[in-house]
Amino acid sequence: MKKTLLGILLLTVFSLGFLAAQTAQEIVDKADAAFQADRVYSTSRMTVYKSGEAQPVQEMESYTMEKGGKTYSLSIYTAPRRMKGTANLMIEDDLWVRFGSTGRTRKLSSSAKKNSAGGTDFSYADMGDGGQGLSEKYIPRLAGEETIEGEQCFEIELLAQNSDTPYEKMVVFITKDNYRYIKIDYFESNANVKSMTFYDYKTVNGTDYPFRYIMENHTKPSKTEVVVDIFEIDSSRVKDRFFTTGYLESIR
Amino acid sequence: MNQSQNFREKVLSRWAGWSIENWGKALLIALAITVLLGFGISRLRMEMTFYSMLPDKSNQVRDLKNIVENFSYASAVLVVVDGRSIDDPVEAEKTVKQTIDAITLEYSNDLYNPYIASVIGKVDMNLFKEHGLMLTKMDDLERLKRSYSDLNLVPLLKHINDDFEAEYSGNSDKLADEETQAVSQFRGLGELLKLIEQAAEGQEVSDSKLDEVLDSYMFGDPYIMSNDNRMGLIIVQPTFTMNDIQILQPGVDTIEIGAKKIAFRAGIKAGLTGITTVGRDEMVTSGQGLAVSSILSLLLILGLLVLVFRMFSVPIISGIPLITGILWTVGLSGFIIHRLNIMTAMYIVALLGLGIDYAIHLLSGYIQERDGGSDFKTAVEQSLIKSGAGIITGALTTSAAFFALTIAKSGLIKELGFVAGLGILSELAAMLIMIPPLLAYREHRLIKKGKKDHRIFSKIKIKSDAASGIGKLLVKAPLLIAIVMSLIIISFSFKAGDVSIQDNLLEMEAKGLESVHLNDVMIKEFGMAPDGLMIISSDLDEVKELSDKLDKLSSVKSVESISDFYVTENEYAERGSFLQHFVSELDDGAPSGTVDSEGLLDELYRLETNLMEMGDLAYLGNMDRLVHTLGDITGIDEDGVKTRETSFDRLFTILEENPNAGTSGSMENLQNAIYNNMDQKLRTMSSTGKISLDMLPTNIKDSLISRDGKSFLISISPTQSPWEGEYRDIFTSQMNTVTDKGTGMILVADQMNIMARQDGRTASIFAVFVVFLILVADFRNIKLALITILPLMGSFLTLFGIMAVTGIKFDFVNIIVVPLLIGIGIDDAVHISHRYLREGKGKMDLVIARTGTALLMTTLTTVFGFASFIPSIMRAMRSTGIVLSLAMAIAFLYSVFFHSAVLIIVTEKLGWNIKPWRRRIK
Repeated sequence: MKKTLLGILLLTVFSLGFLAAQTAQEIVDKADAAFQADRVYSTSRMTVYKSGEAQPVQEMESYTMEKGGKTYSLSIYTAPRRMKGTANLMIEDDLWVRFGSTGRTRKLSSSAKKNSAGGTDFSYADMGDGGQGLSEKYIPRLAGEETIEGEQCFEIELLAQNSDTPYEKMVVFITKDNYRYIKIDYFESNANVKSMTFYDYKTVNGTDYPFRYIMENHTKPSKTEVVVDIFEIDSSRVKDRFFTTGYLESIR
Repeated sequence: MNQSQNFREKVLSRWAGWSIENWGKALLIALAITVLLGFGISRLRMEMTFYSMLPDKSNQVRDLKNIVENFSYASAVLVVVDGRSIDDPVEAEKTVKQTIDAITLEYSNDLYNPYIASVIGKVDMNLFKEHGLMLTKMDDLERLKRSYSDLNLVPLLKHINDDFEAEYSGNSDKLADEETQAVSQFRGLGELLKLIEQAAEGQEVSDSKLDEVLDSYMFGDPYIMSNDNRMGLIIVQPTFTMNDIQILQPGVDTIEIGAKKIAFRAGIKAGLTGITTVGRDEMVTSGQGLAVSSILSLLLILGLLVLVFRMFSVPIISGIPLITGILWTVGLSGFIIHRLNIMTAMYIVALLGLGIDYAIHLLSGYIQERDGGSDFKTAVEQSLIKSGAGIITGALTTSAAFFALTIAKSGLIKELGFVAGLGILSELAAMLIMIPPLLAYREHRLIKKGKKDHRIFSKIKIKSDAASGIGKLLVKAPLLIAIVMSLIIISFSFKAGDVSIQDNLLEMEAKGLESVHLNDVMIKEFGMAPDGLMIISSDLDEVKELSDKLDKLSSVKSVESISDFYVTENEYAERGSFLQHFVSELDDGAPSGTVDSEGLLDELYRLETNLMEMGDLAYLGNMDRLVHTLGDITGIDEDGVKTRETSFDRLFTILEENPNAGTSGSMENLQNAIYNNMDQKLRTMSSTGKISLDMLPTNIKDSLISRDGKSFLISISPTQSPWEGEYRDIFTSQMNTVTDKGTGMILVADQMNIMARQDGRTASIFAVFVVFLILVADFRNIKLALITILPLMGSFLTLFGIMAVTGIKFDFVNIIVVPLLIGIGIDDAVHISHRYLREGKGKMDLVIARTGTALLMTTLTTVFGFASFIPSIMRAMRSTGIVLSLAMAIAFLYSVFFHSAVLIIVTEKLGWNIKPWRRRIK
C-alpha cells in the first residue's frame, strides 16, 4: 500500500532523518513505477545454474493484475515438458500450486511465500511482490551513492517494517538519471544472502522494464537467470477469471 | 684522524682501526654477544602452527586450541569413497557401501592403531532405535503420532498421505532440506509397495525382509552418502592433530594408502580431504621443486660474490656475520617477545637477503679502495666511513619502517615489525663489528702465507666500478630517463588499485591437490563443506540453544552437537507424558484382520499422485537423487513421461480386478506383520528412561565430548566452501548474529583480510611516513628526503600495477614483499643520495660507478635468492618468488635510473639546494 499523507506527516514528527527518508521514498516510488503496471502479460525463460551448470530451461506465461487494492499473479509453466501445465496462483499472501502432472491444486501456507519458487533462487515472494513495488513493506533510507554496472546509482536501504516481511533488509541501487533498479541485495541474519541484478531495460508503454534479470544466491552455488521475451502492459490477454482456483484447475 | 669527519664517521674509523689491529679480540666480542643472546634463543618458542597467525589473546584462539587438543573430530580426516566410475547407479551405491565397510574393517588392523582413534563409516542407530522418540522434538512427535496412530495398512497409508500433503506438497525447500531423509523414507516406501504387491498376488512375505524394509522406512540409511548415492564418506578421527608435525605425514599417508588400496580392489576410487589432509599436503608440497633451484641460486650468489670481490673467502667473510646477525635477532626476539610465528620465521629467511646487502656494500667499498691503491688499513677504514654512512642511514630507515608496523592492531603485523626491525639492526651491527676483523684475519693469513690475490682473478676480473657506464648514460640523458620512467610509473599507477587479495587459502596450495579438489567435490556432491566453524561450551543448555538457532541460518548446512542427544528435565516431562499417552494408544489398537481393498486402492492412487507431485518439485529443485528415487517408484522419467509399469500399476490392476484381494490370507498376514513389527519398533523407541551421556555411541562421544568430559563441541557445516572470502563473510556474519564464540581454521583466512585490507595498509603508510621523517632528520633537507622516497613510491605503484595486470594476488606469504620493499626500495636510493652529497654536483657518473655495482650485486643476490621459489609447485611459494624478484628488480631500476636522473635534474638543471640545513657548503 502506498504511504498515506498522514503516515508521512507522522514520520515528520518522529523521524530525525525525515528529509533523507522522504527523498529515498520518492526515489523508490519512481523506481517502483515499472513494477506497478497493471494487467501485465509476459512470457519468460528461466534458467537455474547449479555450480555453474545450466539446468533445463523453464518457460512460463505470467499474468498479473491489480484490483481492489490486491495484487493477483498467475504463472503457468509451458516448458520443460514435465512441468507443462503446472501453475502458481498468488493473491496477496495466499498461494496455490496446480500440478500439471496430476491436475491437482494445493493451497500452500502463507509461510511458503518465503520458499524457493520451483527450485529457483527466487522465492514466491520475490516473484509476486513486485506488483506492489518493493518499498511497500519496507522503510527506505538513503544510504549513499555508488556506481553499479557502470551506472551512477542511489543506494537505498529498505528496512523491514515488521517480522512478516521475507527479508530483514534490502539494499537497492537505483540509477540517478532514470530511476531504474539496477541491483537489489537481500539480507537475512545480517548478511547479504542473495542479489538480483537487472539488465536490458526496454520501454513498454512509457515504462522502463528489465527484460533480463539474474538472482544470485550467495549461500549456495546457484543463480537463476530470467529472460523476458514478451512484456505487455494493460494487456487484453489478462482476464479477471484467470485469478481463481477454478481457473487453475481448468488449465490443461 | 680527519678533522672534517662527523661523529658517526669518527666512531666507524676508530672501530675499523682497532678491530683490524685486534681482530681476535673483536671477534671474541662478537662471540660474547652471541653467547649472551644465546640465552634469548633458549627462551624462544617456535610457533609454526596456524594458531600463531591468529590474534594471540582472543577467546577464539583459546577455544580453537582447546578444541584441536581435546576433540579429535576437529582434526578429522575425511575419506571420500567415489563410485562415479560405475554407470549403474544401483551397482555404484552397493559397491560404495561395501567399500566403506571394507575400509572401516581395514582401519581396525593394528597397523593403524598409532594413527586412528576411531572411524565412523555408518551412523550408529541403536540409541535411536531404543530412545528415538524421547530424542524427537514435540512438533515432530505430534506428526509421528498422527502418522502411526493406526498401524493397519489402509489407515497407515492414509496418514502417510496426509503427512506428505501437509509437509511436502508444494514445498521444495522442505524436500531439499530433508532430501537425504526423504530419499531413505521413499526407498523404504517403494520396498513396502513391492511387499504389498507380493502379498496381493497371494505370496507370503518373510519377516526378515519386512523388518529390513521397515527399518529403512523408519530410520533411514546409516551410511553418509552423496546426493546421487554414488559417493560415500568415512570420518576418521586421528590420534594426532595437524600441529603434530612428526606424525602428520606418516599418519595421513597410512590412512590414505589403506583407503586407496581397498577402493582399488573394488574397482573404484578413494581420496582424503579435510584440514588435516590439506596440512599434510602443504607440508609435502611446500618443499617440492625447490631443491635444485635453491642449490642453483646459492651457487650463483656465491659465484657472483667470489668473482666480484675476488676472494674465495668472501662467503665466510660475509656469511659469518650474516648468520651471527640472525642469531642475535632470534636471541633478542627470545628475550623480548618470546616467540617466532610462521610469518616472523619466514622473515628471518628473508633477512639473509637483506643482511648480505650490508656485506656487499662494505666489501665493495673495500675493493674500490684497494683498486684505488689504498693499503689494507686505509681501505677498510675508508670503506666503513664511505659505505658506512649509507648503510647506517639505510638500516635505520628500514628498521624504523619495520618498527613503525608495531602500531598495527593485528598482533601478527606487530610481531613482524618488531622482529624485522631488530633483524635489520642486528645485521647492521654484526656486519660493522665483524667484517673489519674478518678481513684483517684474511689479510693476516695472506701475509703469513706470502700470497696475493688468486691467479684466477687476474683473468676474470669484474671492475669495482663496472656500473660507471650507467652513470655516464644518466649524466647524458637524465630528462629522457626521468620522463620514460615517470610514464611507466603513471601507467601502472592506474591499475595499482586493482591489485586483489587472495582470501581463499586453498588457492595458495599446489594445483591439482586431491585434498583441495575433494573439498569442492564434497560441496557439490554432499552439499556440505569439510571445514566449518566450531563452538565449545560446558553448558549443555547453551549447546542446545545455540544449535537450534544456528541450524536456522541460511548459510548453515547442518549443525552437529550433543544437543541431539540431550533432553532437558522439562522435555523429559513433556515428551514422557506424550509418549505414555502414545503407547497407551498403541495398547488400544489391534490388527484389523482383513484389508479394505477399496480403501487401499484409494490410498494407493493418492499416494502415487503425491509421489508424482513430489517428483515434480524435486525435478524443479534439481534434487537428482530424489527425482531418481521417486521415478523408481512411479515409473516416471526425468521428462515426466511414464516409461514402465510399477508396483502401483500392478496393484491397481489386482485391486480393480479383484475387489476381495484385501481379504486374502497373504494380505491379512502382511497387515498383521506390518502392524506387529511397527508396533514393536515404536514401543521400543518410546522408552521414557533417562538418556545419559554414557549411553551415546562411542563415535559420538569421541566427536562431541571433550576427553575430560567437561566440554561439548558444536560443529557447524556451511553450505559452501568457507575458504572462499565472500561466502566466508556471509557465514561468519550470520554466525555472529547468534554467537561470537565460533572458531576454526577458516578464521586464519580472515586475519589475512584484516592484515591486508585495514591494519596492514595503515601500518605500511605510517611506516613510509616514519621513513620520510628519518630521511629528513638524516639529510636535514626536505627536498632531498622527498626525492629519495620517490623511487619507493614508484616501486609500489609499479609492482601493484603489474600484479593487477597479471592477476597475481597478495597472499599470506608474498605479502612480506611490502615491508621488504620499504626496506630495500629506500636503501638503494639512500646510498645514492649519500654518495651524491659526498661526491658533489656533476659527479653522478662517479656516484653510480662507486655505488652501482654494489646496488646491482645486492639486487642480484636478493633476486637469485627469491627466484629460487618460482619452480615450487605450491602456488603461494611460486607467487612469492615472482613478486619478490619483481619488486627487487623494480626497486633497483627506480633507485639507480629514476632517482639518479631526478637528482641530476633538480640539482644541476633546476638548481635546488639539497645540502643539509646547517652545512650549506659549496
